[in-house]
Amino acid sequence: MDTRSKADMEHLEGAEITLESAAADPRPSRAEGGDGEIVLEGVGVSPGIAIGPAYLYARTTFEVEERLLSDDEVEEELERFERAVARSERDLNKIILVTREKLGEDSADIFEAQLLMLRDEALYNAVEEYIRREKRNADYAVKVVMDKHRRMMEASGNEYLRERANDLLDVEERIIRHLLRGKILSAIAPHSIVVAENLTAADVVLFSRRGILGCALDFGGPTSHVSIMARALGVPAVVSLHSVTELVAPGDEIILDGIRGRVIIRPTEKTLAEYRISRERYRRLIQEEKQLVPLPAETLDGHCLHLHANLELYEELDQLHEYGAEGIGLVRTEILFLVRGSTEISEESQYEVYRKIVEAMNPGVTTFRVFDLGGDKLLPMAHREHNPFLGWRGIRVLLDRPELLLPQLRAILRAGAHGPLRILLPMVTNINELRTFRAHLANVEHELIEEGFEILANPPVGVMVEVPSVALQADHFARESDFFSIGTNDLTQYVLAVDRGNDLVADLYEELHPAVLMLIHRTVEAAHRHGIPVGLCGELASNPRAVPILVGLGIDELSASPVYLPGMKRVIRAMKKTEGETLARVALEARTADEVREKLDQWLGEHACGFTYFFENDPPPGPGGRTAAS
Amino acid sequence: MIVCEVTVTNRAGLHTRPASMIVRTASKFDSEFIIQKDGYEINGKSIIGVMTLAAEQGAKLTLVFEGEDEKEACEAMKELFEKGFGEVK
Repeated sequence: MDTRSKADMEHLEGAEITLESAAADPRPSRAEGGDGEIVLEGVGVSPGIAIGPAYLYARTTFEVEERLLSDDEVEEELERFERAVARSERDLNKIILVTREKLGEDSADIFEAQLLMLRDEALYNAVEEYIRREKRNADYAVKVVMDKHRRMMEASGNEYLRERANDLLDVEERIIRHLLRGKILSAIAPHSIVVAENLTAADVVLFSRRGILGCALDFGGPTSHVSIMARALGVPAVVSLHSVTELVAPGDEIILDGIRGRVIIRPTEKTLAEYRISRERYRRLIQEEKQLVPLPAETLDGHCLHLHANLELYEELDQLHEYGAEGIGLVRTEILFLVRGSTEISEESQYEVYRKIVEAMNPGVTTFRVFDLGGDKLLPMAHREHNPFLGWRGIRVLLDRPELLLPQLRAILRAGAHGPLRILLPMVTNINELRTFRAHLANVEHELIEEGFEILANPPVGVMVEVPSVALQADHFARESDFFSIGTNDLTQYVLAVDRGNDLVADLYEELHPAVLMLIHRTVEAAHRHGIPVGLCGELASNPRAVPILVGLGIDELSASPVYLPGMKRVIRAMKKTEGETLARVALEARTADEVREKLDQWLGEHACGFTYFFENDPPPGPGGRTAAS
Repeated sequence: MIVCEVTVTNRAGLHTRPASMIVRTASKFDSEFIIQKDGYEINGKSIIGVMTLAAEQGAKLTLVFEGEDEKEACEAMKELFEKGFGEVK
């Protein structure tokens, strides 16, 4: 296989690139409007529109400098090398997985070979030896050792070997990129759009300090740490683009549309002109929405909802009031700690963080979801579960590991002395889990009082409705819960049996599927029969298109990343609850998600409050759709 | 020490996929594994080494195994070559 077809294969990581274009040209273009403009569809995870030059993180050339190490630096340097190799392994494993899914078992040969090269005795050991013997920095050692092998392969008369030299170069660059991460990141030009395979949350923080305009990534999803961070920092981002790093050349002008989840590479003048207008309109829209911040989320017929914020990061605390959050509907406590790579989760450190959050939100309520850990974060590699989504997660882990649960409960109850809070349980599937949890909670309360702490006694305890069994038995759960919070992301995955991270089936993931809506409906009915409130904290809440239906279904609280709250409020204030109820009835009767969407788009078009309306040349697709100026 | 001779039978020769299979198979065993061809030898557990052989269809290779599990390693490797790495010949 030649180098070109390898590049083609990387393109095919993307679902959006057609087979014929990949086979014909290493830089396929999906022209829309001609002149080589490429439109890539991904997932918009942080809203906004950016236009600027691409900074291609993956293809950046870097100066490797030679540095002499002191004796005590050598071990550290060896560890740094190993970490970079391990990260490269993770990259390649991911690429192999996706390539296989797209093209079949044999398609990933090249990457399999690259994976073997990473730990090749002739390379890995030689680099280690070089670092030890010559006392040089890891990046320099990698370059010296790999370049030597590469030159040998290039110099051979064999065409096959000369091509393999390119694979070695890929491997070399990948390792060096991981080694020089910090340096590369800080070298980025401001006002550019970062294009990368993937980034860590910490990378985005660094980038945003450099004043970048946006991020376009091959991998990632709405709940990836990188997406959450981009939202928190107000950096527009589109993820899951699959092939953007292959299709963009350094310095290419690109348009990043974080609202519709689209990236346009080398846009035509016409497209640019349209997007400049959209960008301006979006700015104006944001200004308008700012004026809604002090107003209640009240429908035209006087029904009030509560708009709460999802909080993943400390950095988002400032945004709570800026975007008018009445409370916090979901603190993802595990992310608060894990995103920093922190393993220090003592009671004291948790208490400090929780107290600050509660104080910042006071008098609004803060909802702490106890650690929602996938078992994979706790188990050694060898015990990986075959099916983690149906495995050891959420409350199951916590009830098995009281050493995790109890310090957290102590910290939360102590923080409760500083403002109102609620406790939310993830991944509950049966009522006994709730009862066992309450027993733990009672013990902890008792303990803390005995120890003389000032605490919040009897905090409201709610369950996440994210497993179908809870929605189906909502009546029983409502009797023993103080509130519900519907997690639509997981609920949708479990109801429709779709892993949305799996490209082969991701298009079956439909949050507006009538079956999902039926379970939401059932949950709300049961909750209201027992007089407890129902919140909804999945991505569905932040989708303005879904808001009318959620209001109609009777949801009491909507919780989303702070940036989305004003847009949600705009829709709520433009509708009547009775209209929502009509929409909800129609949606519950619908056979497919398409039918539901069609109805909603039609309604949004008629009311000019969807957020597509400000794209002048992109009227809402519904039959009644029209373009409204404001 | 075990020494045996094999011939590359698959049409494409020891390109990327067979090379990966050789390295993966060899790495399952503790024995050292050397491949000799035309008077030079390489480490059979190194993908770079096996690729450098650039062995084409019909090439004769000498496989040398040394270690506790040399017999099993030799059997596994011979089978791999005999089956032409699962490719159509």
